[in-house]
Amino acid sequence: MKELRHYTRYPGNLAFLFATPLMFTFMLSSMGSFVGGPNASQFFFQRTGTTNFFVYQILGSAIWIMTWVVIEDLGSALRNEQIKGTLEQNFLAPINRFLLLVGVALAHIVISALIFLGVIFGTVLVLEPSSLTRLLIAMLTLILGLIPMFGIASVFSGLVIRFKEPYAFTQMVNMIFAIVAGTYYPVSVLPSWVQVVSRSIPQTYVIEDMRLIILFNKSLVDLYGHFIVLGAMAVAYPLLGYYFFKRFERRASVTGDLSKF
Amino acid sequence: MQSLSKVFETKEGRIFNRVAKSITAVDGVSFTVSEGEILGLLGPNGAGKTTMIKMLCTLIQPTAGDGFVNGFSVVKKPEKVRENLGVMLTGERTLYWKLTGKENLEYFAALYHMDRKESAKRIEYLLDLVGLKDRADTFVENYSTGMRIRLSFVKALLHNAPVLLLDEPTLGLDPQSSRLIREIILELKKKGHAILLTTHYMEEADQLSDSVAIIDRGKIIAMAAPSALKQSVKSSDIVEIEARNIQPEIVERLKTFTDVLDAVALVNDSAAHSGVIKIHADKGKEVLPSILQALVRRDIGITKVSFVEPTLEDVFIELTGRGLRD
Repeated sequence: MKELRHYTRYPGNLAFLFATPLMFTFMLSSMGSFVGGPNASQFFFQRTGTTNFFVYQILGSAIWIMTWVVIEDLGSALRNEQIKGTLEQNFLAPINRFLLLVGVALAHIVISALIFLGVIFGTVLVLEPSSLTRLLIAMLTLILGLIPMFGIASVFSGLVIRFKEPYAFTQMVNMIFAIVAGTYYPVSVLPSWVQVVSRSIPQTYVIEDMRLIILFNKSLVDLYGHFIVLGAMAVAYPLLGYYFFKRFERRASVTGDLSKF
Repeated sequence: MQSLSKVFETKEGRIFNRVAKSITAVDGVSFTVSEGEILGLLGPNGAGKTTMIKMLCTLIQPTAGDGFVNGFSVVKKPEKVRENLGVMLTGERTLYWKLTGKENLEYFAALYHMDRKESAKRIEYLLDLVGLKDRADTFVENYSTGMRIRLSFVKALLHNAPVLLLDEPTLGLDPQSSRLIREIILELKKKGHAILLTTHYMEEADQLSDSVAIIDRGKIIAMAAPSALKQSVKSSDIVEIEARNIQPEIVERLKTFTDVLDAVALVNDSAAHSGVIKIHADKGKEVLPSILQALVRRDIGITKVSFVEPTLEDVFIELTGRGLRD
């Protein structure tokens, strides 16, 4: 509730998050048309299997922004509390400190899900009206993919308490994710060693599967392999996040870092 | 607290030439605060008061020793300790400025697992207690400093914990608000709360505390009731000389005089170097003429001379040779 209140009291930020996926997609669309010329659509079809450039890109854009919100906001949540001076107040309460982070995460996941729903549903309803049902099915991929993203964000949350540079870390990570997760192109165009990294990021599977379901009419059964991988990530990454968070939290309580900013 | 210590390990120096350094913030401190008692921790800035409070409220891990809050160990059972503690940390930055006063308290009440109806009543009562009822729905960013500090104070009282840790509760408050806070603290004591209070205002420690622990450089150097502490310096005369153009060298010179036990300059206007020179002497009336002569020779402008009753600051001066504000 506190996080939601903060978001609504900074409406400019919310508007920016809604507009960003659309702005990036328009920008890429224009670049693609410029570079590809009159055959741009044909080239795009050859590489992706679809001519629906806008939906293809908006799916990547929206997932990237969602991940950005979860990782940046959650990764810097505790740091922001440190700067405000409220981190210690929160840590004085008789609650599990990791659960405090979970609470913040849930608020940001709700916010980013609203962004996704607003942008994606709006776009798909206009450009691919027949795929609305498929979109609803594809949401399952998204929900499963959010759990490991929370785990990754928890690692950063701990790191920023230690190193006190949240935006440097989270921005770098978000840009790397945008490149390797196939946000605006299929992962197959990347070098094979980069694809190994791509396949360790949950976002890659979410973007790929949503495109396969909405644009290529694949079913959840067709993608069961990806679901197994996402399921394993949904277990492993939060555990990793918990480990790192507790480790850095313990260090902060030894060094007195909780109040420093 | 039982022999509680805290050593901070830091590194200083340039990026490829950093040297490890240890800073002992708290050194083997022990004390007990019972139900219905107030213990004041009095000491200058940097003495270790806040570090002690933070160890007791589980924000910092002790290096050695342990602390117990209502029987729970801060090292082994930190969550139980936090259930039994109400804590006010220094400063106005402990609140969410984009929430209202009431929303802040609602948020923290939820963190303490308080029932909604119960917390609503409690919040209304507490806001009224400190005169913030009419401003409950105003964003904290629009509060004055005094209002934020009062809100921070009642935040510590939300869940009615048996033990209260109050770190400089009146710092930054006007005299009227300070008086209000002190009255509330005395009421809480009567209701049976055990209260540990840190302050560098000796008048506050004197007025509120059943016992005062004087802290310097991480150690408790004296602990007793305020009257007993002041009695310990009553054997000497305390001369207060209000003056302008106070020079540090003259204070050192005064310490060499026969019968002068100690001297300290408390400068409150650094531009004019004016303030008070406090002198502890065995036979104050006999040594006073030579003291005044020495001051006049150095062009120190004397405005008032008086013999005063000892205060807790004088206890500190006697024990450390420095003032509380040094």
